[in-house]
Amino acid sequence: MKVVIVDYGMGNIRSIVSTLNYLNVHDVTVSDSLQTFESADRIILPGVGNFGEAISQIRSKKLDDYLQTVVIDQKKPLLGICLGMQLLGLSSSEHGYNTGLAYVNGVVTKFENNAVKVPHVGFNQIKVNTNSKLFEGISDRADFYFTHSYRMHSEEDINQSLCNYQDDFVAGFEVGNICGVQFHPELSQFNGLRLLKNFIDNF
Amino acid sequence: MLRKRIIFALIYSDGNFMQSRNFRLQKVGNLHWLEKNYKFQNIAFALDELMLNASKGEKNMLEFASTISKLVNDVFIPIAAGGGIRTMEDADLLFKSGADKIVLNSLLVENPDMVKEIIKNYGSQSVVACIDCKLRDDNYEIFIKDGSLKIDYELKEYVAYLELLGVGEIYLNSIDKDGTGFGYDQSLIDTVNRITSLPLIIAGGAGNESHLAQGLKIENVSAVATANLFNFIGNGLPNARRQLIADNENIANWNFNNYSNT
Repeated sequence: MKVVIVDYGMGNIRSIVSTLNYLNVHDVTVSDSLQTFESADRIILPGVGNFGEAISQIRSKKLDDYLQTVVIDQKKPLLGICLGMQLLGLSSSEHGYNTGLAYVNGVVTKFENNAVKVPHVGFNQIKVNTNSKLFEGISDRADFYFTHSYRMHSEEDINQSLCNYQDDFVAGFEVGNICGVQFHPELSQFNGLRLLKNFIDNF
Repeated sequence: MLRKRIIFALIYSDGNFMQSRNFRLQKVGNLHWLEKNYKFQNIAFALDELMLNASKGEKNMLEFASTISKLVNDVFIPIAAGGGIRTMEDADLLFKSGADKIVLNSLLVENPDMVKEIIKNYGSQSVVACIDCKLRDDNYEIFIKDGSLKIDYELKEYVAYLELLGVGEIYLNSIDKDGTGFGYDQSLIDTVNRITSLPLIIAGGAGNESHLAQGLKIENVSAVATANLFNFIGNGLPNARRQLIADNENIANWNFNNYSNT
């Protein structure tokens, strides 16, 4: 089992690597090369920071083309985490309007400061979608760790699991080989370990 | 529902973990001591977050970073690290060593442009602003540099300043209550709670589980922290969490059955 973490110069990937190691996945590579992507069994798109900056990094390194090849054409399983999930959507309003990779119907906007505390930080419960391989064995209302100021909504059925903060937003989705989670499974104790194990075992 | 958090804050100085009382530090033990007395990988399963603060005299950022990376192996919760961060390189190093967020104090006042730069690179949610306060003549004074230098801001004015800077959370620490085990400074908390829209972490004074419970019950407080190495030794933290969950406090309850390969 080889996992490749997409390197676009952003995000704390150390904890993702150590979590995968804990799950006995030791072949973990951080890379921005097409050749390495093509050798992967699983691909993870991480992300911390701002959407506009991230998508412009991705495009300038041609990672959008590479991901198109391995994720869309070759159907390798992809997991986006936090900002990495948001990048898989249509657009974000973070620091101006930017389009995303548009693999799923999802639009990213900011929480409203007068409604709730922003950022949304801490463990929050998920309305678990039982149709999802990613959430297999994870009980409804399980707690996962979030830290973000922007969140995704979708007008389509993207097989989403929801979290409520101000309103229901996309906590996770799964469309074929493409999935994403807004929370950090690598920082979510046993629940997160199970979710990452599912991504390794079930796809 | 968004859960409240329990944060264990470790104070680190020159290779040792310290017990602080009113910001005077006493050496407790090294990483080996911590492993032996806290069995860290187990304890971490009772915490929502771990905070590591390098304190007084700790100038060696590389050594601090290496301690962080040793400590966080097999710990699947967010790690906040701070103390002595002056440059982007300092911040980069801590993030690379396993920190998910950094904690800033002196830099907030001394170099706000650098703070903005860090926020631009890592996002608001990655920056925690630590406010150290002391009550004098019915007025809260704010200190930087490990409590050694008073700054001229009024508390309310300072909170507004931090919000404008764009920090993600406030870690509000009472120097008067620090390490006493007498409970949190309720009036300090109320003062800041009324005016901030940022997630608020309260610190200083928690000596037992009932103090944590009192803190968790305060509306709009996002997290309760303790740095008391003596009072929660052994299974103190797991036991406290179990009791708080039994008492229906709003904290995460990880289903141990969801992952059995441990």
